[in-house]
Amino acid sequence: MSSTREVYVSRLQAEQLYKVFGRRPDEAVRKLEGGADRDELRADGTTAAVIDASFTVDPGQIFVVMGLSGSGKSTLLRMLNGLLEPTAGRVLFDGQDLTSLSAREMRTVRSSKISMVFQHFALFPHRSVLENAAYGLEVQGVPRAEREKRAAEALELTGLAGWGDSWPDELSGGMQQRVGLARALATDADLLLMDESFSALDPLIRRDMQDQLLELQKRLKKTIVFITHDLNEAMRLGDKIAVMRDGRIVQLGTAEDILLTPANDYVASFIQDVDRSRVLTALSVMTTPHRPDAGDCDCESVLADTPVADVCTVAARVPHPVAVKDADGSLLGVVPQERLIAFLGDDKQGPAVCSMEEVATHA
Amino acid sequence: MPRLHLGDWVDSAVDFLQRHLSWLFDAITQVVNGMYDGINAVLDAPQPLLFAGILAVVAWWLRGLSAGVLTFAGFALIDSIQLWDDTMSTLSLVLVAAIVTLVVAIPLGIWAARSKTVSAVLRPVLDFMQTMPAMVYLIPGIIFFGVGVVPGIIATIVFSLPPGVRMTELGIRQVDGELVEAAEAFGTTPRNTLVRVQLPLALPTIMAGINQVIMLSLSMVVIAGMAGGGGLGGAVYRAIGNVDIGLGFEAGISIVVLAMYLDRMTGALSRQVSPLGRRALAKAKAATGGLRIWNYRPQPAVAVVGVVVLALVAGGMNMFGSSNEATASGAKDVGKGKKISLGYIPWDEGVASTFLWKELLERRGFTVDARQYEAGALYTGMAGGQIDFETDSWLPTTHAQYWAKYKDKLEDMGSWYGPTSLELSVPSYVKDVNSLDDLKGKGAEFQNRIVGIEPSAGETGILKDKILKEYGLDGEYKVVDGSTPGMLAELKRAYAKKEPIVVPLWSPHWAYNTYDLKKLKDPKGVWGKGDGVHTLARKGFASDNAEVGTWLKNFKMDEKQLTSLEAKIQSTGKGKEQDAVRAWLKENPGLADKWTPVSS
Repeated sequence: MSSTREVYVSRLQAEQLYKVFGRRPDEAVRKLEGGADRDELRADGTTAAVIDASFTVDPGQIFVVMGLSGSGKSTLLRMLNGLLEPTAGRVLFDGQDLTSLSAREMRTVRSSKISMVFQHFALFPHRSVLENAAYGLEVQGVPRAEREKRAAEALELTGLAGWGDSWPDELSGGMQQRVGLARALATDADLLLMDESFSALDPLIRRDMQDQLLELQKRLKKTIVFITHDLNEAMRLGDKIAVMRDGRIVQLGTAEDILLTPANDYVASFIQDVDRSRVLTALSVMTTPHRPDAGDCDCESVLADTPVADVCTVAARVPHPVAVKDADGSLLGVVPQERLIAFLGDDKQGPAVCSMEEVATHA
Repeated sequence: MPRLHLGDWVDSAVDFLQRHLSWLFDAITQVVNGMYDGINAVLDAPQPLLFAGILAVVAWWLRGLSAGVLTFAGFALIDSIQLWDDTMSTLSLVLVAAIVTLVVAIPLGIWAARSKTVSAVLRPVLDFMQTMPAMVYLIPGIIFFGVGVVPGIIATIVFSLPPGVRMTELGIRQVDGELVEAAEAFGTTPRNTLVRVQLPLALPTIMAGINQVIMLSLSMVVIAGMAGGGGLGGAVYRAIGNVDIGLGFEAGISIVVLAMYLDRMTGALSRQVSPLGRRALAKAKAATGGLRIWNYRPQPAVAVVGVVVLALVAGGMNMFGSSNEATASGAKDVGKGKKISLGYIPWDEGVASTFLWKELLERRGFTVDARQYEAGALYTGMAGGQIDFETDSWLPTTHAQYWAKYKDKLEDMGSWYGPTSLELSVPSYVKDVNSLDDLKGKGAEFQNRIVGIEPSAGETGILKDKILKEYGLDGEYKVVDGSTPGMLAELKRAYAKKEPIVVPLWSPHWAYNTYDLKKLKDPKGVWGKGDGVHTLARKGFASDNAEVGTWLKNFKMDEKQLTSLEAKIQSTGKGKEQDAVRAWLKENPGLADKWTPVSS
């Protein structure tokens, strides 16, 4: 992070957020703090949707909250922009405590600083695509000419230039979500909340949208909180991932942290289905060089953040362990072929001694 | 179970309200009456065919050429069956009721959609309003608001409010929650969320509710007619009372034309006003393509110009219309334009004597307004002072209940005809039954039933409590409660098929002229002595109008006079009662001056 961006880009922090639905929520929070669990509360008829959630999101980061339905991830998201009021805890944004704002001040923050993209697009069917994209600006009271110009720019950004006069129901799902994205971008809000935004799309289109989001993010550097139930999506998008279960954040870390050191069996059971070779990088599989001049040959080498899948491709062509270098070309480590195979198979022991080894040597 | 005196509590509540909140009811009456008069004045002003043209242009704009043509044809039909004025007053009544209903229902619906508590409280209230039979609150309505259009409009509002509220609530509640959340997420104020997102998307449902409100209002016009609301409802009610199938059908078809027009127009309007509907229309238009005359719709601007031009022409023509009513002059002008309201029940002698008095009083310079009422409404209205007098009370027996209830607020101007008689009658082809004694043992022949009239009628009471017991018919015969028109229709049907039937009747009654009937003798004299037909006036009428009071007290008719007048009215036709009276007075010179003498 450069220090200049620090000034412009916002920062989000959640401190011990609780959300309890039902009777006497404050008492429920005290019980939870005292160590009571969710099921005990449910017997009283109260539901603890989010329990003791704390995290920080750095400027320009995509923070993904991953969890199955009922894990409290959508509730958590709605507390960040005040659509739901936390039962306890604080949300700090740009150093401002959002939970202390009045309803009117909160609306101002929502209209100018935080925008949101929805699971089922939530486009207004009685407004054209352009009017939809301009909605946030209309709420801010921006004059018509200017808001239409900015909305058209936002549409262009999401690849929908020229579709402004169409109506939402004339577009495909993917295009509708691009309108949703354009609507969120048009207000120039720093914080983008995305609630399962790609879950309702076909797998191919979902992938397209993920790529486009990453592409946009390179240029716009928004701070994004992204909700998903798909760990693959979380790992593709997330700079940092929070895994939620039963209202609690059970693990908080980078994609690699989660993949390499799952906090518990629950997280571990999740990552079984993840394509490890696309998430893990050379950095996480490399070992100390077998010889100091390992990187000096002319063979192909890889960078630290090259996915393991691509390291495999290189390893197939290189007759010795693959060198891992940083951007300047200095050697960081090497990846021996058997280590690659062990990682893909999730084996942590390494090769054992083979009883036939001597026979093989003698033969 | 202890008896809860719910009814008594309601009675005293009504009394209390009438005593302490009359200022409020008067204010409501003033406002509603004002609205009705204003709208009716506008609708009634243009020439019928021109106004039909205006309505047709509106239909053309909203639905196309064929709808315009059909509209014109429909309203031309109404004009040709001479129900135009009635139709316009019904339209005014429906419009006033619908406007008031919507002004109340839509905010209530919005409130209910935003608050679960309000919704929960409103629901049973709406159920109550929708299902409580209108007749139950019509009479209290008359006590509060007096006879005329107001209680009819109030009853209509009560009946048509629930769908307006429910559809508004439903429409707003069924707007996708994610859309509302999206609006909030972008910082929209609750008020703007309602105006910019919820209401536009709920509009089709709300418009369906408006449509329901209007249709239900139309279905209530007959009830309104019973309370003196006039219009097509009055015509239908009059037709029912006289078993006049022709008039009933004509008035009914006019209601249908009006209903279809309002239904189609509000339906089309809902598509014009909602953004989604407009889009669908544009799409459909693009799909058919071309500018064929059939699909051509005048633009709103063109339609407005057309309506305005027609309205101006209509207004201009109206300027030349002049009244040429005969007016009394000189010594004969006793009334000097003073207003007198007459009420009547659609019984033949009532109609005859009422229009006779209307004519007599108009000749003496009074402005007379004669309206038909349901019996309960008539007495309540007279007790409340809105009706000055009526000429058709059968006392002391038949109308005893009404007299007992309201005698403190009424004055008896004496009997002008009598005696009348009550009886059971059979067609003369029923050979062996001549007296009430003969009915015993013949139950099977009459299917063990006496086709009765209203359970509230005095005659029904005597029949059930006394006649059946005294003549030992209890158990053998059952009195089938119904209505006078129902009884007469059944009599007509049985008579045509020559089936045995026994019905309660009274004399004088036109049925004796129409059918060959036999009055069953009453050897034990259980029916009692006959009634006299009395003129009743509101308390104080005779002292306010000394001459008229004297004339009414001295008024007498004999059987020949009454039957000949009734026959004249019958032969002249419906709606021309007063012409018949004029003709009859011409044939009977001197009677008018005898009944309404002026000191010269």
